[in-house]
Formats: sequence, structure tokens, C-alpha cells
Amino acid sequence: MTADFVRHPRLERLLARVLRSGTWLASGVIALGLALPVIDWPGIPPALTSPRIITAGIALLIFLPVLRVVLMLIVFFREGDYRFGAIATLVLVIIVLGAALGMHEVGSLPG
Amino acid sequence: MSPGSDAWLFAVSLGASALGGALGMASGIFIVPILTLFGGVGIRAAVAASLVSVIACSCGSAAPFLRGGLTNIRVAIVLETATTLGALSGVGLAGMLPASALFALFAAILLLSARQMLARRADMTAVADGAEARDWASALRLHSCYRDQASGREVAYRVRRLPLGLALMYGAGLISALLGIGSGVLKIPAMDTALRLPIKVSSATSNFMIGVTAAASAGAYFARGDVDPAIAGPVALGSVLGALLGARLLMAVSGERLRLLFVVVLLALAVQMLLLACGIHLTGHAA
Repeated sequence: MTADFVRHPRLERLLARVLRSGTWLASGVIALGLALPVIDWPGIPPALTSPRIITAGIALLIFLPVLRVVLMLIVFFREGDYRFGAIATLVLVIIVLGAALGMHEVGSLPG
Repeated sequence: MSPGSDAWLFAVSLGASALGGALGMASGIFIVPILTLFGGVGIRAAVAASLVSVIACSCGSAAPFLRGGLTNIRVAIVLETATTLGALSGVGLAGMLPASALFALFAAILLLSARQMLARRADMTAVADGAEARDWASALRLHSCYRDQASGREVAYRVRRLPLGLALMYGAGLISALLGIGSGVLKIPAMDTALRLPIKVSSATSNFMIGVTAAASAGAYFARGDVDPAIAGPVALGSVLGALLGARLLMAVSGERLRLLFVVVLLALAVQMLLLACGIHLTGHAA
């Protein structure tokens, strides 16, 4: 009966590592962006403004769960679990579709 | 520290997320009311900022659950097809609903959360009895097991009623995108009552799924240019640190008093959101 219970210990550990370090990286980038006007470091290129760095951190954060789905997709297909690979692909398609529709809406807005 | 400044947004998110984390709840349910009621932030900007912080909390707290083998990632990815579809519907609907409708819906969710906080969650686990069932969950091999910390034993469980679970998850995704919350308030009944997952498994799996659900809607809002870095930045950073703090508090503080305090806060916010829905501002900020 236990053969029925599927677990993915290696994938689970991989996801744990990626999510944790990704959260710290994105938080670090946001913190840097917030601190920029306060500390006023010399030698920072003028293109790297505080809002741009914060936006990059936010984009990283939004990308993190998407990356998690991509990793699951790859591992499922590698393990020959095509049904779950397809399910992960479907989730990915829905997320990408949402972002694409969001962008399309901006393009279609007057002014 | 004036309302709406970086420091104010950071501190408020830290507090909300620590309080939420101490009771195993996402911070979004507090962040949107606080931003709109006291920060003078419009509800759409507040929802977008809150979604980013919901992602941060979900990703930041996923690791221990995954390492402990509590998160059922197979159940998660299957249900995420429904939550992300719901999230897209929510993003589309958000543009059509007037702000007052969003405030009213938010008040209803706050009341529902208060009620759920008062009622205890009962473990309705379907024990793995070896009965061969011909259902979706078996076909997808969703049944699993986890090691219980207290007894040190492997607990096996079976997943029930997947179609009902998927339908409830679609609703949870929709509400999450509309209101900028993790909507654990809808995910938990779906997982406990429909799928009959053990409480620890459903909490861990729900937390894991919230990130992807919020990424679907936040991605769309981000692409649309609705995410304001000046608001979402400090809110996300405060939430990450608050969630860490809350997880520590969870161990230290007695649950019963905190639970009551929580219910009072939820009710107070619900009343204020209802007033906003009717166009009455108590705090002097235009929403």
C-alpha cells in the first residue's frame, strides 16, 4: 500500500533552498533600493535610481514562485512523470497568460 | 513617521505580518485595510502591494514545511491549476468592480475570518485504510504520508473529493486576486473539509500554494503597471521580517489570548471597511 504514496524528498529540499535564498536575495535588492536615498553612495550609476532597484526586487519576488513551478516541471518530466509535468506546464501557461493579458491591457488603454 | 511614508509602511507591514504569522495567517488580511483606512492608499494600489507581500511571506516561510515533509507538492500543483485560473478571473473582475464593492467584499471576508478564528479546526483526516478507491486523487497518486513530530510516527492519509476541492480553490484564487490576500480563509475549509487533509499538511500546502496564486495575479498587475514600488517595496520588506518574527512568537505566546485579540481586530477592521463601502471615512483619508 505504501507504494501508493509518492514523495519527492530531493525536489522538496531543492525547492526549500531556492525559495529561501530567493526571498533573501529579493529582500536584499528591495532594501538596497530603499536605502539608496538615505546613504547616497558615491559611484552608483545614475541609471540605478531607487524606484528602479525596488521594482527589480519586486519583479524578482514575483518571479520566485514562477521559478518554483518551472523547477517542478523539469523534475517531473525528468522522472518520467509526464502527467504531472503537463499539470505544471498548465499552471505556468496560466501565469504567463495573465502577465501577457496585463501587458496587452496597458497597450490598449487610450493615452 | 507620517502615514504613507516609507518608514510607516515598513513598520505597519512588520507589525501586521508578525501578528498574522503568530497565528499562522498571511498578513494581507491586515495590510489592505490598514493601507486604505490609515495610509491614504487607494484600494487598487493596496491590493497590488499586498499581493507582493503575500508572495514574500509564502516563499520566505516555505522551507521548514518542505524539509519537514509536510507540504504535499503533488496536491499543491494540481490545485494551483484552479487557484491561478481563479486569480486571472479576479484580475479581470477587479477592473470592473467599483471600489465600494471591493470594500464590502473585504468586510465580508474579514467577518468570515473572525468566525473561523473562533471555531476550532477539527482533524477530519481520511485514514489510509487500504481500500482501493477509483477516484481522481488515486489516479493522480495524491495520497501521501508525513512524519508526525510529536509521536515520531509516519502518518498516512488519503485525499478525498478532489473536484469539490478544485472548485473551492478557484474561488480562493479569485478572492485572493481581487482583495490582495492569501485567502487562507477559503483554502483552509477547502483542504480540511473537501480534501480531508491532516491540519498540518493542509496548512503547509496552503502556504506553499499562496505564493504561486499571488504570483499569477501580481504578475498581471505588475505587467499592467499597477504595482507602485514606493508602496510595495517597504510593505514587502516589512512583511518578510514580520513573518520571521511571527514564527518565533508562535512558539512563545499563548494562543488563546492572541486568538481573541485577533478576532477583535478583525471585527473592528470589518466595521471600518463596511463604512468605507458606504462612503463614510472615519480616519479623514480619502481612499
